[in-house]
Amino acid sequence: MSSSLSRLGGAAFLLGLVVLPHLLDSRWQAVAITFLVFAVVALSQDIVLGKAGMFNMGQALFFGMGAYTTAILNSQFGWPIVATIPVAILVPALFGIILSAPIVHLRGDYLLVVTIGFNIVFVQVLQNDLGGLTGGPNGIFGLDSLALFGVTLGSQVAVYYFAFVVLLVTLGIMANLERSKAGRALHYLKQDPIAAESIGINTRVYRIFAFGLGAGIAGLAGTVFATQYSAVSPEGFEFLQSILFFSIVLVGGSSIPGIFLGVFVMFILPEIFREFSTWRYFVFGFAMVFTMILRPRGIWPARFGRIPAFLVRPHRDG
Amino acid sequence: MSGEALLRLEDLEVSYGNIAALKGVSLEVAKGEVVCILGANGAGKTTTMRTISRLLRPRAGRILFHGEDITQVPAHKVVHLGISHSPEGRRVFGILTVEENLWLGAFTEKRVDKERLRWVYELFPRLEERRKQLAGTLSGGEQQMLAIGRSLMSRPELLLLDEPSLGIAPILVRSIFERIREIAGEGVTVLLVEQNARAALKLADRGYVLDVGTIALEGSSADLLASEKVQEAYLGKKG
Repeated sequence: MSSSLSRLGGAAFLLGLVVLPHLLDSRWQAVAITFLVFAVVALSQDIVLGKAGMFNMGQALFFGMGAYTTAILNSQFGWPIVATIPVAILVPALFGIILSAPIVHLRGDYLLVVTIGFNIVFVQVLQNDLGGLTGGPNGIFGLDSLALFGVTLGSQVAVYYFAFVVLLVTLGIMANLERSKAGRALHYLKQDPIAAESIGINTRVYRIFAFGLGAGIAGLAGTVFATQYSAVSPEGFEFLQSILFFSIVLVGGSSIPGIFLGVFVMFILPEIFREFSTWRYFVFGFAMVFTMILRPRGIWPARFGRIPAFLVRPHRDG
Repeated sequence: MSGEALLRLEDLEVSYGNIAALKGVSLEVAKGEVVCILGANGAGKTTTMRTISRLLRPRAGRILFHGEDITQVPAHKVVHLGISHSPEGRRVFGILTVEENLWLGAFTEKRVDKERLRWVYELFPRLEERRKQLAGTLSGGEQQMLAIGRSLMSRPELLLLDEPSLGIAPILVRSIFERIREIAGEGVTVLLVEQNARAALKLADRGYVLDVGTIALEGSSADLLASEKVQEAYLGKKG
């Protein structure tokens, strides 16, 4: 009953997102795109932090890496945006795997410090114009629009639907993960790594997998981000952004509705109350404090980890 | 000792940083045996178990299973080989139901084995009564049954039980120890770590006494029960 209700709610929400851009003027369309893009990044952070329980404070790094991959390939090498998409997924995913492999065994607080370090190094590299590719503090601008089969999709509405498709893909991956062996393994190792290890779960491989998957999805979001502004610059991927994604997952409760709520509060409310926007960290800061005290598992805690019915059923018959 | 050694530890040394926890432990478990490791707190009992199931890396020494060196095999593969570890403190997944926890024990198996589950429920009928209940709401003894049941689901040849009596009502301890006997009767070799020396020696065929990281004594359970040293140190009798 409640699950069919939430499915209905989810469908209504997605349907709302489909018609949304036609109800908005161009400024609000831009805000809506930001909402979708940041929701994808927050969901990717959820795979690492929420599902696998690893305190990753550097998700903006992978987001930025995807955005810069697209920007560099497009502006320096003339690749069409579409062609950059697979690379913008693979490069961050690969870095996610390489960076996480030596550190995934670290306990939460240590992992936090290491990933903060990665994020800071990354932004420094961008600002210092590595190999003349990243454009220094100004970044890269003047990117092409997305084009498919010779049709240029330059309008805001087109970018919006690009972002929406990316969100759908991400939600599909998340739903799949929830039912898969890998998803369950992540959940169990989050609950108790020692117990997980002693029932035969390769915790190390699954942790690295979570990092790689999260990084790849964040990279894809980066491509959309770069397309939206036709530009990238270092400040969009600073450590502070990582804190926001981290907090959204924690405060939202690591569930999909919770994460949407978190992104909305963090990125959309400040736009609605423009004059109030400098206060957003103030408000969100307090929201974080009170949520953690009053609802330590988040505003909308995830329910996950149940063994899917199709696996359990054979016994019930017998 | 009868038969070939299923498990053999050779001069195992393990340390936490600079502190040596095991200083050259050697022991053997033959197929079909129930062997217990006794010792006071900090003697290295849990360290020994965790090293066998590869949750800890030894600094020196070898672990042989079926005569093959498994010292470098990662923990999750040890389960595939047929060693199942029921860790200290039970560690059941509290937010899952009893039955889900049991299915989890078969995580490494491609298909879930109904007969196996049947057997676990026959051993511990209490678990079947509560199969839909969240594991976190079970009593300590029931959680221990679940932990043992879960480690049986991967069809182990060797079952490592770390302190099954820890924090459990005495009446349940006896019942759990009887079940361990039954499990051994089905051909599962059991290596058991216990502080409850009397109960453990009544159950086991043989025993080792660990003292600050070395084997201080070994022998058949009857010998150890009769030994003055053991009586003084672990059974609370004054010489």
